[in-house]
Amino acid sequence: MEALKVEGLCKNFGGVSAVSNVSLSITVGERLAIIGPNGAGKTTLFNLVNGQLSATAGRIYFFGEDVTDLPTYRRAHLGQARAFQIISLLQRMTVLNNALVTLHGTRPSRFEMFRHVREFRNVFDLAAETLKALDLWERRDEPVEHLGYGEQRRLEIGLGLAMKPKLLLLDEPSAGLTKEEGADIINIIKKLGQEITVLVVDHDMGMVFELAERIIVLHYGQIIADGTPEEIQADQRVREIYMGIEE
Amino acid sequence: MEAAEQQTERCRWKAGAPYLVGALILIIPPFFLSSYGQGIMTRFLILALFAMSYNIVFGYAGLLSLGHAAFFGAGGYMVAILKLHYGVNLFWIAAPLGILVATLTAALFGLVALRAVGIYFLLVTFALGQMMYALAWNVKWLSSAGMNGITGINLPDLAIPGFMLNTTSLYYMVFIFFAISFLLLYRLVYSPYGLAVQGIREDETRMQAVGYNTWLYKYITFVITGAFAGMAGVLFSYYNFFVSPKHLGVVTSFLPMVMCIMGGLGTFVGPIIGAAVFIFVEHFSSVYFPERWPLVLGGVFVLTIIFAREGIGVYLWRLWRKLNYQYGSVKG
Amino acid sequence: MDWFVINMLNGISYGMVLFLIASGMSIILGAMGVANMAHGVIYMFGAYVGWTVAVKWNASFLLAFLAGGFSAGLVGLVIERGLLRHLYKQLNEQVLLTFGFVYIFGNLCLWIWGGLPKMPFTAKFLAGSFEIMGRVYPKARVSVILISLILAIVLWWLQDRTRMGAIVRAGMDDKETAMGLGINLQRAFAIIFFIGSFIAGAAGVIGAQLLGVHTELGLDVLLLALIVVIVGGVGSVQGALLGGVLIGVIDAFGRAVVPQLAMFTMYFAMIVVLIIRPQGLLGRKI
Repeated sequence: MEALKVEGLCKNFGGVSAVSNVSLSITVGERLAIIGPNGAGKTTLFNLVNGQLSATAGRIYFFGEDVTDLPTYRRAHLGQARAFQIISLLQRMTVLNNALVTLHGTRPSRFEMFRHVREFRNVFDLAAETLKALDLWERRDEPVEHLGYGEQRRLEIGLGLAMKPKLLLLDEPSAGLTKEEGADIINIIKKLGQEITVLVVDHDMGMVFELAERIIVLHYGQIIADGTPEEIQADQRVREIYMGIEE
Repeated sequence: MEAAEQQTERCRWKAGAPYLVGALILIIPPFFLSSYGQGIMTRFLILALFAMSYNIVFGYAGLLSLGHAAFFGAGGYMVAILKLHYGVNLFWIAAPLGILVATLTAALFGLVALRAVGIYFLLVTFALGQMMYALAWNVKWLSSAGMNGITGINLPDLAIPGFMLNTTSLYYMVFIFFAISFLLLYRLVYSPYGLAVQGIREDETRMQAVGYNTWLYKYITFVITGAFAGMAGVLFSYYNFFVSPKHLGVVTSFLPMVMCIMGGLGTFVGPIIGAAVFIFVEHFSSVYFPERWPLVLGGVFVLTIIFAREGIGVYLWRLWRKLNYQYGSVKG
Repeated sequence: MDWFVINMLNGISYGMVLFLIASGMSIILGAMGVANMAHGVIYMFGAYVGWTVAVKWNASFLLAFLAGGFSAGLVGLVIERGLLRHLYKQLNEQVLLTFGFVYIFGNLCLWIWGGLPKMPFTAKFLAGSFEIMGRVYPKARVSVILISLILAIVLWWLQDRTRMGAIVRAGMDDKETAMGLGINLQRAFAIIFFIGSFIAGAAGVIGAQLLGVHTELGLDVLLLALIVVIVGGVGSVQGALLGGVLIGVIDAFGRAVVPQLAMFTMYFAMIVVLIIRPQGLLGRKI
């Protein structure tokens, strides 16, 4: 069974075709990167897979289940976790509360209206463990907006992982990060090994080639290349598109 | 270990102190006030409850509703109708039914209003509230003979042998319901559900991506706050002895909004402080310039929005925190 | 047959007043994202000023129309320049602020003009009626339809020129870029608010021919404007026109056929539209 299978996926906005007849599949535990020039449809594809957008045509299968018409929150329960292009943590909330809210999202306790949120020890301990691993436990009572950009990115991805997802969707994780912070992220993801399937979209070619086992190139909403990093590097069409863009 | 635990104990006492003081202020002095003073305190608690309920839907969930009085008035009208047409004076029948009607109204309105997003939500709740107003105005059955509104509501019968409510005991009865609501809403706000609701206010997309059915949370919150507003309306009926269509309309919907903003939106005690400020200004202007009361209210409101957006409540809270630090470092 | 025509005319003339009322609000809402809750009291203020000019001073109706419009526009300008612009980008606070003015202006009008309602008034040459299909029909109502149509055309034309409106909206999200494009956002907002309020005040004078002037108008008119905007859709002249006429006609026939439910026909229409098409009949999908 594939972790994710997309068949004939199309998304039109008015007259513009953002994603055009895209079909791809990801095996469990694989690390797939999607690259392409700006406007190629990468984020649109993410939004279709994660449910923020509904497809004009085509189907999406997540671990064998047809999720094409499922709302986003259901997909989270099925095992998708996502980091957004623009960091989407709850800025005015504390680091700890962000962690607690995120971790309760897929648990039945999220509907609890009477007991204090900290009484749920298992979630609290998991949050503490995650924050300590991210080196953010000391700052747990500070509002997220006080954290630096790199720290916030680390927190967002870290929380996504703490959700124990089956598929991790990372939308431009390296954006705005320094070289060290970027390397940091790469290490975190590499350490995951085969447990989690990872789908990454990014512009940082260094990160992409280090991280990905397989790369798909998107251009004007269509797949124009699909292969290992070496194959992609050698591909003529890809080189044409990226001519002038630094690696 | 001992010292650390003692420290936490002390912290908890310090954190709880203002609530304790507040409770004492609400319990002891009113006993010594005149009937008139007790009436004002009763009115204060009822409005504070109304504002607390609104604070949940507006301050915590971020839903700017302008039709909250529909639920307040529904509760009040149910009590009034039961008295007018069925002679029911028993609190234990009228009050639950009043709250039930308010809750059902909120359940229905929520379905329609939540179809609208953003600023539309405001417009729709406004319209729905005015619809209730129009209903109460036009349907004869919803009024006492020859007027608009229902009079003749009495102090309720509590079915306690030998006990009749009076102004003083009504106040304490209202206080009990206020306190219970305070505790329930407090738990709600700090529960996982409450945290989720605040998260949805901040970033709905993220909350969905993390697993929350955000529509459901908004809807349930809308209904719960309708229930508490209904309770306030029920109590109001017994305090005021009279309900009128205007208790369903935007003029009344505006009140909890004003109180929440003046007191500090999204803080838990903000609405209570706002209600206190409101009652004070209302009383003050009814003595000195009764005809210009809406002008004064509008003016204070506009000034608060421009200059003290976070509310008087937050200002006081910051003051408390500062004092805490000073005393804390001295003791420490 | 003439029953149908008369009710249709009633519906359309009332609907046109609704259009006038709603268009000012729709423009401001569409271009600035601000739901101006004071819209109703601005309408009422314009109507009162118009009454003072036309009835108290016995001057020409045209003068009353202009006076009502300009005084209302000025009020709107003061609100926007003096207060709203300090809350740039905080939509909730802006809406709440305008609500404060409902109270302030409502009470002011009561103070100045007293609590007794003013009877409908109209221009001298519009007094009296036409004969339509053997029935008499007030000239004033016909004039309402004509004036509204002219205004609709003018606004429609302005709307196309108001790509500015779209640019202003973009400017709301990114002030620097908009200013970098050479657009004076502050001035644009002030102008839009003035125009929207002018229309509201002028509408007050025109509408006074049918509705008169009284102190409850502030909220009544606001409610009508909101329902028309919800039904017709925000930000377009067409939406306000369609919404207004639709509600007006439904209301007129509702009153004629089921008088007990007359008040509620517009709420039914609103709820139906919300269930079927939440963004309004001509509104853009959100």
